[in-house]
Amino acid sequence: MTHLRDLTIKSFHEGLLNKDFSALEIVRATFSHIENRDKEIGAYLDLHKDEAMTQASRVDVAVAEGGDIHPLAGVPIAIKDNILIEGTRTTAASKILKDYSASYDATVVKKLKETQVVFLGKTNLDEFAMGSSTENSGFQLTRNPHDTERVPGGSSGGSAAAVAANMAVAALGSDTSGSVRQPAAFCGAVGLKPTYGAVSRFGLIAMASSLDQIGPITKTVEDAIILFKAIRGKDNFDATSVNPPAGGEYRDELLNPPLENVRKLRIGVPKEYFIDGLDPMVEVAIRGVINKLETLKLEFKEISLPHTKYTTSCYYIIMPAELSTNLARFDGIRYGTRNEGREIKNLIDLYKSNRGEGFGEEARRRILLGAFVLSAGYYEAYYAKAQKVRRLVARDFDEAFKDVDVILTPSTPTPAFKIGEKVNDPIAMYLSDVFTGSVNLAGLPAISIPVKKYELSDGELPISFQLIGRHFREADILGIGQYYERL
Amino acid sequence: MSAIDKKTIKDLAELSRIKLTESEEKNLLSDLEKILDYFEELKEVNTDNVSPMTGGTFSRNIFRNDEDDNSLPKERAIEAFPEKKKGFLRVPPVFE
Repeated sequence: MTHLRDLTIKSFHEGLLNKDFSALEIVRATFSHIENRDKEIGAYLDLHKDEAMTQASRVDVAVAEGGDIHPLAGVPIAIKDNILIEGTRTTAASKILKDYSASYDATVVKKLKETQVVFLGKTNLDEFAMGSSTENSGFQLTRNPHDTERVPGGSSGGSAAAVAANMAVAALGSDTSGSVRQPAAFCGAVGLKPTYGAVSRFGLIAMASSLDQIGPITKTVEDAIILFKAIRGKDNFDATSVNPPAGGEYRDELLNPPLENVRKLRIGVPKEYFIDGLDPMVEVAIRGVINKLETLKLEFKEISLPHTKYTTSCYYIIMPAELSTNLARFDGIRYGTRNEGREIKNLIDLYKSNRGEGFGEEARRRILLGAFVLSAGYYEAYYAKAQKVRRLVARDFDEAFKDVDVILTPSTPTPAFKIGEKVNDPIAMYLSDVFTGSVNLAGLPAISIPVKKYELSDGELPISFQLIGRHFREADILGIGQYYERL
Repeated sequence: MSAIDKKTIKDLAELSRIKLTESEEKNLLSDLEKILDYFEELKEVNTDNVSPMTGGTFSRNIFRNDEDDNSLPKERAIEAFPEKKKGFLRVPPVFE
């Protein structure tokens, strides 16, 4: 029997067609592994065991009957619990939604159902995706499978840990400032944040609408491509979703591009990312990646992204402003949990009680901060200023992309940090996505790829590098990623 | 220029409809002061003649046909209500 560790989307599909195993066998084996391993890791909030078994059996029937089998059919995947699956509990890891059953399918879920994928369950996250360690979950801690004293990153920490611990072949997360790429990096998985608008956000519980994007967390770059192709595309229910602009169609260039095309790509390395606070081990690992890629005859060039330093401030004004607005709908009236009690005399009391008890510490911090930066008298100094700085951050990339096609950086300044290490220091926590946030501000695609193990010493924690591309040029970063994996 | 004090926190909590205890107010004040101090660095950035970037998309004026398309059935919406009566949403009194 195939070991779960060796299963990728691609090898699952091959094995399924070869009849090396059935979908049901793999799904059963995955659940029995989860029952043991997840006691320690805490990646899942809910398991959908019955539905998963039924779905796997359906795929096995389809395979037996012959005919077209989608590359995702039967693949056991995990879904971050801020993405809606109709008729199942969706909490965004918030107590305010602890009893909420989703009324409809997110567009990505609807698309995946058409491929006959198997949903194993819903994974833990920082409440409403607010955080970088999954410690802000209203329900449980998730531990890093490489070192259970450490965080898995966040906010998609449950999804990344599930993939890294072989409790799912792949997963979906959401990325507002690095929430797919940073946990993928901490857990040694691949994480893709598509161009803003490439994937519909309909049915994703919104955090910051101008920054949020759903993306895959997988074991290989190739798997990320398969999932991305299945979930992307314009959707009438998300007005910001688009098909790539004319001439930028993805067509067949995503998988296995010819090496001579990839060789034409010039790679920029921004000097602002190699600064104080960058762990020396990370720097050594990233220099190693550059040396490896040079053996493919790829050309590197030092570039400058001068506003990098202001990214964190800019992000932590824009995001809370959008979030305080988005989270206004959680009041315990139309869905979620409603408090009872004598002290509740009117509607306002009810709102305050529901929201005061339903939201965790970080949520309250960000809602108040958002209300502040939007308030009369401070709007210009904070929110309007941040929007202008956002323009400058985006322009830095525009300038850089005149000279280079792809930008390579470390994914995170350090490997996974210890549980509790940053929990009482919001600014230190916020700075852990300093290398990923500017990508969301500019709306660009980026992928985090683990540095190959042989380039790290024994027992070292995963370290990852990030490739950033032009808008809708996922093909460029995925192309280089695929060739790096083969080295 | 820390612009906030205890009263600001109380006002923001009121506006945000969040009930806070005294100690939560105190912690939030201290956190927000630190965070706003950190934002001071943005003053160094010259943003004269820079237009604000107001969203993530480059799309403008996205239209669709004004047709009913697979909207949420009433029953599904009602199922999610925490309190309901005869197919209606039940809420506490709005006026005193």
